[in-house]
This record gives sequence, structure tokens and C-alpha cells, in this order.
Amino acid sequence: MELFKKNAKAPVELKPLGIYVHVPFCRSKCEYCDFYSLGGGLNQESMDLYLQAILTHIKEAAQRAVGYSVDSIYFGGGTPSFFGEQGLIRILSEIDRRFLVEKDAEITLEANPDSVTAQSLAKLRRAGFNRISIGVQCDDDAQLKSLGRPHTYKQAQMAVSQARRVGFANISVDLMFGLPSQSREQWMSTLRNVMDLKVDHISCYGLKVEPNTRLYEYRDCANLPDDDAQADMYFYAVETLESFGYVQYEISNFSLPGMECRHNMKYWTGQPYMGFGPAASSDFGGKRYTAAADLDRYITGVMEQGIILSECESIPLRERAGEYLMLRLRTAHGIEENEYMQTYLLPFEPLEKLLCMYETRGLAMKEESGRWRLTPKGFMVSNSILVQLLEAQQQSKPLAKVRK
Amino acid sequence: MTDLSKLRNFSIVAHIDHGKSTLADRLLEECNTIDKREMEDQILDNMELERERGITIKARAVRLNYKADDGEDYVLNLIDTPGHVDFNYEVSRSLTACEGAVLVVDASQGIEAQTLANTYLAIDTGLEVLPVVNKIDLPAARPQEVKQEIEDIIGIPAMDAPEISAKNGINIHDVLEMVVRDVPAPQGDRDAPLRALIFDSQYDSYRGVIVYLRVIDGTIRPGMDVKMMATGAEYKVVECGYLAPKGMIPCDGLGAGEVGYLTASIKTVSDTRVGDTVTGLENPASEPLPGYKQVQPMVFSGVYPADGSKYGDLRDALEKLKLNDASMSYVQENSIALGFGFRCGFLGLLHMEVILERLEREYNLDLITTAPNVVYEITKTDGTELNVYTPLNYPDPMEIAEAREPFVKANIIAPQEYVGNIMELCQQRRGEFKDMTYLDTTRVELHYDMPLNEIIYDFFDALKSRTRGYASLDYELIGYRQSKLVKLDILLNGDQVDALSFILFADSAYARARKTCVKLKENIPRQMFEIPVQAAIGGKIIARETIKALRKDVLAKCYGGDITRKKKLLEKQKEGKKRMRSFGSVSVPSEAFMAVLKLDEE
Repeated sequence: MELFKKNAKAPVELKPLGIYVHVPFCRSKCEYCDFYSLGGGLNQESMDLYLQAILTHIKEAAQRAVGYSVDSIYFGGGTPSFFGEQGLIRILSEIDRRFLVEKDAEITLEANPDSVTAQSLAKLRRAGFNRISIGVQCDDDAQLKSLGRPHTYKQAQMAVSQARRVGFANISVDLMFGLPSQSREQWMSTLRNVMDLKVDHISCYGLKVEPNTRLYEYRDCANLPDDDAQADMYFYAVETLESFGYVQYEISNFSLPGMECRHNMKYWTGQPYMGFGPAASSDFGGKRYTAAADLDRYITGVMEQGIILSECESIPLRERAGEYLMLRLRTAHGIEENEYMQTYLLPFEPLEKLLCMYETRGLAMKEESGRWRLTPKGFMVSNSILVQLLEAQQQSKPLAKVRK
Repeated sequence: MTDLSKLRNFSIVAHIDHGKSTLADRLLEECNTIDKREMEDQILDNMELERERGITIKARAVRLNYKADDGEDYVLNLIDTPGHVDFNYEVSRSLTACEGAVLVVDASQGIEAQTLANTYLAIDTGLEVLPVVNKIDLPAARPQEVKQEIEDIIGIPAMDAPEISAKNGINIHDVLEMVVRDVPAPQGDRDAPLRALIFDSQYDSYRGVIVYLRVIDGTIRPGMDVKMMATGAEYKVVECGYLAPKGMIPCDGLGAGEVGYLTASIKTVSDTRVGDTVTGLENPASEPLPGYKQVQPMVFSGVYPADGSKYGDLRDALEKLKLNDASMSYVQENSIALGFGFRCGFLGLLHMEVILERLEREYNLDLITTAPNVVYEITKTDGTELNVYTPLNYPDPMEIAEAREPFVKANIIAPQEYVGNIMELCQQRRGEFKDMTYLDTTRVELHYDMPLNEIIYDFFDALKSRTRGYASLDYELIGYRQSKLVKLDILLNGDQVDALSFILFADSAYARARKTCVKLKENIPRQMFEIPVQAAIGGKIIARETIKALRKDVLAKCYGGDITRKKKLLEKQKEGKKRMRSFGSVSVPSEAFMAVLKLDEE
């Protein structure tokens, strides 16, 4: 029972739980960003109200989490680092107080280079944050500026070395390719420079133009690399990162062995998580629900015990089976026949037939362990693959149910 | 029954967009036939499609009660007509039901092609043509010049023509006064044997077919036994009456000169063909009214449900549509690529488009249509004769002794500065020049013999674009001529897709093959592997394009908050795929089929 800091009499069969905290504040909104965040800079009043609300929310929700122990906490946004270390530490200690948090829980903070200092990082590390994910995006200051990023590449380098110095043993950086006017050579340069940072984990995202972003408005004259160019950049990244010892464990995620992001893996393996803050999603108690993407509504909802959810659905097993394909096939771990059949009582043959066809085209592979995964080439067209797999799944008849 | 001297039957003719339907609306309002509050635009065009496209597809009639300035009450029957060459026959029949036509001319644009075509049609039918200058409220209006144009080009007096704005309701009263004053009252003997002209019919699920007609001689009364002179069908009249804007008003008799409807528990629209004459069984007329001809579908196309399981729905929809449109035909057809569907016959390409759009809208069907074709005559080497309605039945080239295709005589009227363009176009379409005549100093009429096949694609559109909309076209079938024909097959990923095959003139095959492959390449989305697109004649490949493999179709980010959203995205993509047809491992969207139909749009 040493695993647990509190409640030594906890039942033996504790289920793992992830916690996500959405911090919807930013210095400024990036051109491509469609996450829920308020880009208007510092607004102490809303930040205070937000803090009060989220603390209350955590306290309330924790009562429903009996039987769970928290093994990952993730502060995302927005820009959590912009919210300030004091508030972040208040939230973390409230979670620690109300939930059963495992000693070696992974506790991640998303940060932007412009809103961390050696001091603030040291405080956060001391308070228990042990993983930091820094938004770097690319190594070209002009490009960063045109994306609306409020920092330079130099600041990003600084942030990484400061984090390392104050004791973060697990540092991740976010990179983006397919940026406006970005050439293949520019992307290669970003990757080369980032290799020098010697980080433990790298996320590489192809830029996607989402509606309701500023970029969307001028997308036609933004000189965006086309799909073929993006695919080339992607495959180049996969190759380069692999040669530097980074293992691709998900479509857009790479890490040194053993440094995979535990929290994000929960999303892709269908494990429960609870979200706090506006626009945060939860998958808990068989239901998936999302808080409204509206800070005021969140605050009044929590404080006056009103409704804060914008969506809530129970997910039947049949739909979970679809999610299994959609999410697991994002990972290098992939899917497996017995795991699938026993969990969802559906036949694997229709899927395997398709997977074999993909294998001949170099889109999928069967590991020696018997697990099926997509190759990087397959990852890149995974929507088309999933559409076919889901169709085959939909048409398959459940295996006879086990008699009791 | 209204006294003959108090009756006026008229229609409105105009070039497209000169304000025909808007004027009709205003006339209805002016006669208080309809409340302002109930008023919708283009009230006579009550098909959703008609309103949207701003065209009139079906003929309509409406009765107006008007108290004229002379203090007398008049009954005016307004018969609206369709405007496109595909429905030319319906137009000419509708005009036959009138004594006068109000010719609407746009005060800024002046006389245009259809103004002439429709006016000549009206004059040929013997109607009094009454010009009206519309849109005088526009800044560019030049009513005096336009009146002069009407006098010079058409040769009818126009100086007293009312200057109106249908849109703003200016001087509408003048139009009604003119109709009363200048449209001749109908003539006819109400005691003579019955002769009534059918100008439209419509199916009503409660009453059966409703026949719209104009009584020329005699009188129709409920209970009377009648006979359709062309089809020979006999019925007992259940009800007859007038056509009010918001429905039908029964009456105890329709006399000579009157326009109205009859119902007689008629189950099939094909018994009551447009242009046929209704007469009494007792005391029948000796001669039908002149000018009836049976309308034959000229263009055939395969129509398939995009979702194969909707075959039954398509059949039901066609059955219902056929009740309202006897000029369409359909027989079942079976394609290897598309499964069960129908080979449908249409009057022309617009008719086809309209029917397909109605099927998709009114019956909520997603359709795939194959390239339209005409009916070919084949003499096989063993001497047997064959009519080919579909490329699916086209015989092996080795078995063909002679192939023939239908030719038409095309009349084109246009300002003379476009003659060069028109001749070039007609030559491209294998037209054989017959003659050219000057109608006046500026306008010419050209005659060509052309294969119908060349006209059905997009000849009308091409003609319009090369003459800035001024040319008008009319054509009639003149028979079959020997021709060099081949069947072009399309292969996707090596497999022949029978629904994409079509028959064409041999010399055009290479160019068409290339264009078709390019169009397919543009319209079939990239898939997980490379797809060759080939065109072949009798097994010999004559054109090829390649659809490159899809390289990126991925959701880069998918974390807790994204799962629901991304699931919906995939679901949508799945739905999108359902709307495509799979041929082997290739998915083809229905747009690809449509795109090869419109090859010549450059």
C-alpha cells in the first residue's frame, strides 16, 4: 500500500484515473488555434474566479472518484504557464488533497517559452510537476511571428535548458510542419536544431486549418504546403527522429524508450479520465462528457450548482468497439485479435482481411507478437483505413454471447 | 357560362428574365384574384424547381375576373407556357388555346432571341400579339427605342404599347385594358359537337388525372361521356370547372371559348396526351383539332440509385412522376457496375435535368446517371435489325453490317454578326449546312442537318455562349442516316465499368476518350493506391490517365476533448463513402458520372 499517499486502508483493486485541467488563458491567440482559450492577455479578475471555480469543482468531483487512484495529471490549455505558478500549484495541491494521487504519478505542464522563468520552473518542479511540454513549433522566428507565437526560437532553447536545470527529467517539445510557406528544407532545419536540445519526447503535428481560426479566413492565400508536401515532411520527420533514437509510439508522438506520455496513452487506450475547466472532457463512469467552452458559464455553473456540460453521452459497447479501432490504431501498440474479440464479442476476421490487404500495400504490419499496427505510411492515411475498418465492423455480427 | 364576348384567352410570351412570371403575379393581384398576404412570387410556377431556376416547366392556366373601364365584367384566362426548346411542343399547344399573346420586352435589353422565337410561334398560331415594355423603372430603360425595335424587327405596331414595371406594379391596369380591348373574343358554337384541346394534365391521387383544356366547340358537362380522339380512351366526366389561382372551382358546364379542367376518374396520364382533342361520345366531332402529334422521347439515359438498396424507392418515384409527365418513359435496366436501375427516355437534355432534379428533391433520392444517348439503328451481319437504346446492348463491332443514327433539321435564328461562330460550332458538331436567309437587315436564319446526338449534349449552351444569348434554336427529327459509330469503354483499375460506356461517332472517339479520362481523374478522389483510368474501343486502349495514390488523410491530433468530434468526422467520411459506388476496390462518387456528361464545358 505504499503506492498511495493517503488512505492506507484503500481497497486493493484501485482503478487508475487520469486528470486533465484545462487552463483557458493565453498571452495571445495563435493564428491556427481552435482550442478554447482567451487570448486577451492578463485578466486577473477572470483568472481569480476561474481558480475559485475549478477548486470547487475538484472538491465536488473527487467524491465520485472513490476506488480510483490518480496516476497522471495533465495541465493543458490555453497556456497553463501563462496562468502563473501560484495558481497552478493551488490547483495541483487541491487535486492532491481531494484525490488519491499515486507517488509516481506523471504530472505534466504545458508551457510556452515566453511565460516561464528559471524561478517559476523551479517552484513548479518542487510543487510536484515532473513533466513539461514546451510549445516550440519551429526554429524560424519569422515563421513563429506570422503564426502569432509570442516567442522566439532562442527563448524556446532557453526554456528547455532551464527546465532541465531545475530538475525536469521528462521534457517534451511540440513541433509543427506544413506551416504557411514552409519548405522541406526549413522543416529539416527545425528537426536538426531540435535534436540538439536532447529532449525526451517530441510531438510533431501537421498543421490543419480549422474553421473559426484566423488562419482559416486567409487560408487560400497562406501558401500552405499541399497534402503531398505535408506527407513528405512527415515521413522525413519519422525517419530523422528514429535515427536519433526516438521511437514513434503514436501518429504524431515520438519518445526515447520508456518516456511515452502516460496521460495521452490513456486517451488512446480507452482508460478513464476526468477533466476540469471549461471545454475539458471526461470519460468516466461509462459516459463521455464535456464542459461548455465558455468560461463564464463554467464559473457560474460550478458556483451556483447549475449545468456546466455541453455534451454528455453514454457509450455502448458496440461504439466502444469502434473507438478501440479508431484510437488504438493511432498507436504503435495497435490492436490484437483476442483482446478485441473478448472485449467486444465481435469477429476479428473481417478486420484481418482488410489488414492483410493493407499489409501488401505497406500500410499495416503484423508484429511477431500477433498485434496489428499501421506503418507510418498507414498512419498518414489512417482516416481512409478506419472508414473501411469501421464499415467492416459495422457489418459484422456479434459472436454468440457467453451463457451465464 | 360566360358570354363569348366577355371572354379573353391569352398567354404571355417573353425572352427569359424579361419578367413574364412577375407580370403574371401582378395581373393576379390587380384582379384581386388573390390576397396580397397570400401572394408568393411566381405563383404560377408552383413547382419548387421552377421558382428556383426561374423557368416555367409545365403549362399553367388561371382565370381572372376583371371589371374593365367600360363598366363590363370580363373573364380573362391566362395560360402560362414553358420557354425551352425541349418543351416547344407544349408551348405551341398552349398557344393554340389562346386568341392573343402579351409580348413582354425588357425596356433596357430590347428584343432578344426568344422574344423572336416565341413571337413567331404566336404569330404562326394565329394569335394577336400585344407588346408591353417592361422594367421601365430601370435606369437603363429606353422604352421608345425598344418600341421602335419591335415595330422594325417584328413588324407589329408598338407605339401604344403600355410601359410598365411588373416588379413595382406600375401601369398594370393598362395591360388588362389592352387585353380586353385588343385580344379577340373567342369564337365557337356551343351547340356544335364537342371539340376541346388538351394543353396539360396532372395527376391527383384522389381524383385521378386532371385534364386542362380549352373548349373550341360545343360544351362539356358533368356526366357526359367523352372520348380522346387520338388515344381512343373513353370516360364519363365527373367534374368540370375553372382554374382559380388557389385551386379549382367546379361549374355545371364549360362552353366553347372557355378554359378549364375536367376530371373523369382517369387513371393514366398517357390516355390524355397534350394536343389531343376531347369530343363527346354521343354526337362526336368528325375531325379532331389539327396539329396533334405524339411526343417521343429522344434522349435516353441510365438512371440508378446511388445507394443500390434504394432501387424500390426509385421505381416508385418514377411511377409517380410518370403520372404527371407522360412524355417521360422508363424501362428496367441492369448494369454490372451499378446493379438495378432504369433506362429513361426524355424529350431533351433540359427535360432530363428537370426530371432528375425532381427525383432527387421531391423523392429524396441520390442518383447516378449515365451519359445520355439517342436511339441507334443497327443492321447486323445476319440481316437482323436492332434498335439500341443503351450502350449495354450495343453489339460487337464484328456483328454490325450498318449503323444509323437520327438526324434533325436545326433552325437557328441569330443576329448576323454571330454567323461565323455558329457555322464553326455546327461544323464541329458534324452539321451539314443547308441554307441561310436574312430575316431583315440584321437577323439571319440558318438551316443545318445535324446528328441529334450532337445536339443533346450541350449544343444549346454552346450556341448561347457563342452568340451572347441571342441565338434561338429549334429542331425536328428528319430520319436516320448511316454513320460510323463505335462504343467507347472505360476501365478503372483494369476493370471495365459498363455504366461509363457510350456510343459515339468514330472520328470523335480519340478526343472524347482523352477528355473523359481527364474528367474522371479530376472527379474521382485519390484513394489508398494508384488507379489507372483507361478508355478502350473493342479491347484496344486509346487513352490513359492515372489517379495518384492518396498520401495524407489523417487526424494529426486526437486527445480527450477531440474524441467525440473526430468520431463524428469519421462518421461523416463514412457517409460520404456510402454515396460512392465501389467498382472492385475503387470508389467512384456520383459527381464523376455527372462530370463525364458535361465534357465540353471548357
